[in-house]
Amino acid sequence: MDLTPDEPTRERVGRARSLGREWVRPLGLEADRMGRPTPPDHPFFAQLVELGLGGTRWTGGPEAGERGPGNARATLCVAEELSYWDRGVAVSFPGPGLGEPPILSLGSDEQRERFLAPFRKRDRPRWGAFAMTEPGAGSDVAGIRTSARREGDDWILDGDKSFAANASRADWIVVWATVDASRGREGHRAFVVERGAPGLGDFKVERKMGLKAYESTSFSLRQCRVPGANLLGGREPAALRAGFEGAMKSFNATRPTIAAMAVGMGRAALDESLAFARTEGLLGDVRVRDRLERIRRRLRVARLLCWRAAWLADHRQPNVLEASMSKALAPGVTFEAAALGMELLGAVGGRGDHLIEKLFRDAKAMDIVEGTGQIQRLLMARKLVGLPRDPS
Amino acid sequence: MIDFAASSEVTLLQQTARALAHDRLAPAERRREAERSVDPALRALFEEVGLARLELPEALGGAALGALARALVLEELGAGDPGAALALDPLGPAAYVLEELGGHEALCTYGAPLLAKPGARAVLIHDRRPQLRDRGGSVRGRFPWVPSDRVDLLVVLEMERGYVVREGIELEPLRGAGLRAAGASELRLENAPIAESWVSTPATRRAHARARLYVASLLVGVLRRACEYSRDYALEREAFGRPIAHHQALAFLIADMATAVDGCRLLVHDAAWRLDQGDAALEPCAAAFVECSEQALFVTPNALQLLGGHGFMQDHPVEKFMRDARSLSLLLGGVDAAREESGRDLGELRGPVALGLGETSWT
Repeated sequence: MDLTPDEPTRERVGRARSLGREWVRPLGLEADRMGRPTPPDHPFFAQLVELGLGGTRWTGGPEAGERGPGNARATLCVAEELSYWDRGVAVSFPGPGLGEPPILSLGSDEQRERFLAPFRKRDRPRWGAFAMTEPGAGSDVAGIRTSARREGDDWILDGDKSFAANASRADWIVVWATVDASRGREGHRAFVVERGAPGLGDFKVERKMGLKAYESTSFSLRQCRVPGANLLGGREPAALRAGFEGAMKSFNATRPTIAAMAVGMGRAALDESLAFARTEGLLGDVRVRDRLERIRRRLRVARLLCWRAAWLADHRQPNVLEASMSKALAPGVTFEAAALGMELLGAVGGRGDHLIEKLFRDAKAMDIVEGTGQIQRLLMARKLVGLPRDPS
Repeated sequence: MIDFAASSEVTLLQQTARALAHDRLAPAERRREAERSVDPALRALFEEVGLARLELPEALGGAALGALARALVLEELGAGDPGAALALDPLGPAAYVLEELGGHEALCTYGAPLLAKPGARAVLIHDRRPQLRDRGGSVRGRFPWVPSDRVDLLVVLEMERGYVVREGIELEPLRGAGLRAAGASELRLENAPIAESWVSTPATRRAHARARLYVASLLVGVLRRACEYSRDYALEREAFGRPIAHHQALAFLIADMATAVDGCRLLVHDAAWRLDQGDAALEPCAAAFVECSEQALFVTPNALQLLGGHGFMQDHPVEKFMRDARSLSLLLGGVDAAREESGRDLGELRGPVALGLGETSWT
């Protein structure tokens, strides 16, 4: 047993801390104040690329190089630290983002080279995006309506997508569509839709309660023509997708990473609350100390749940239950931390210009993205009691 | 790097404890509760498989295995029968006070004789207020409850000192709210001579931390069993045409209960791991005690609730889980004292809060 990150990871966390203090926190506050995401041409993004960030796990190698060595634990530690400074800015970082896993798992070598290799050039900040959610289909992904229809060698996509991070600045978006809506997930196909594709448009950067530093963008596909070469998992879509979904489901590293981000935000709320309480001389009050004690304790529980899920993922051990536990628990703790912070601030919290007030708004999203708390409980219940998918 | 696996030696010991708890502790828990004792054969087995001395130094016939091993074993025993776990461990958490305050010598002087006496019990209390009055080397007073029917060695932990009493201890039997397999008595001391006393606030706090972790580990076991027992029941019991576990209200509750148990366990392991790294882990041990106590109030009543009316009846052990868990949380000064220790440093902290060991030094 070892419950501390190794030296290389600690160094990465240390670098994230410096970056966080100097850039991430101020940019997050600025975006929140101005009510818009950090613009893609902001020099910060170019600097990140110079620092070697914003790359891809795709190494280009033929065999083992299919994907770089996974280190979910290290990824998670860095994500927690960046989110401590500002989770919105952390999500706005350049890189292939959530579009990378499907390309790695479903794509051919040629597709990986085409879509991921440019991220290795480090010539400019590049983003990838991922679009599953639609106005009428969130947690129930089987309900997506965006259609894909063959026309010669091309595909024609029609539909609307919602809340896709970094979509309007992305070089490409992995768009999920259905070839037959009556077949549910069976009918799903993933396409890489490139910027400038005819029919891709109506980008609308949504206005959000918090996490304003990254764009959550809705867009539409109107008779959008996509070359056949952009369909991921072309020949054996069903088998490949089953493999992709199986991998996502069995060794899930995304949910604990999102949960770790929540832990980082909760830590920020706790530190700010403590600083305020100290300045105001509130720490002699047992009631105050007891509640802060609970927050620290629960944040530690949350972090340990995240770490355990990531450790299992790194060892290719099934971790569905553990990943969902972390994702179900952490956001609630973070929200509690921010809500307590507001209470300690008292009327100062009502002004709307304190970091804790921002965290209070930011925190709520964590129980929604990457599977709501309710979806996590469904997943856990399937494991724990075999809850049927359709309980009728 | 972050790694949650225990060593194979410790895992083997954990499996031994699990088998013993499953095969021997759990099945006879009601009989043991009625008889307020553990049978000698079980005691002999406990000693034989090395569970009585696993943390003690080798000079005392122990395995010097450390805090994590102890925590893993105690979870298993707690899942079997926490009262029996207390009764089977001759020194229990009292050993920590002897070791931290009196060192190896005290462990040999006061601890070793009990190891040779079958059924002997060292009882540790935290006399916070205090209720026992020291009158120049002898104490008098009453302490309302200890989970034992015999006290061969009384170890008293105050805020700044610890002391041991071997004679002049009267016991008034009580019914006991829980942990009845270990017995239940009121302590009455009438000019009982203090055999030895040590003054040291840091050592007192270290001993208290380790003792709290001992109890927290037992609580994890109780919570785990409550969670598993009620889940199994909810899968068998049908209502409105399906197992009650398949109604979403209960399915979600079961998921949250399982999460709570895992969270408690991880916090206990984290604190134990820190102790094994040589850290005093004052706050993490206290936090583990508080967390397990808080979550016990979520997990055990809901376990009972899942069984409905059956949960309230004594044919099922879930009502016992609820009583045992609450009783464990009353030990060693209880939850508020632990909360005080767990939050103590927050008043003095100047920089960011560290969740992990040595975290503020990462740069």
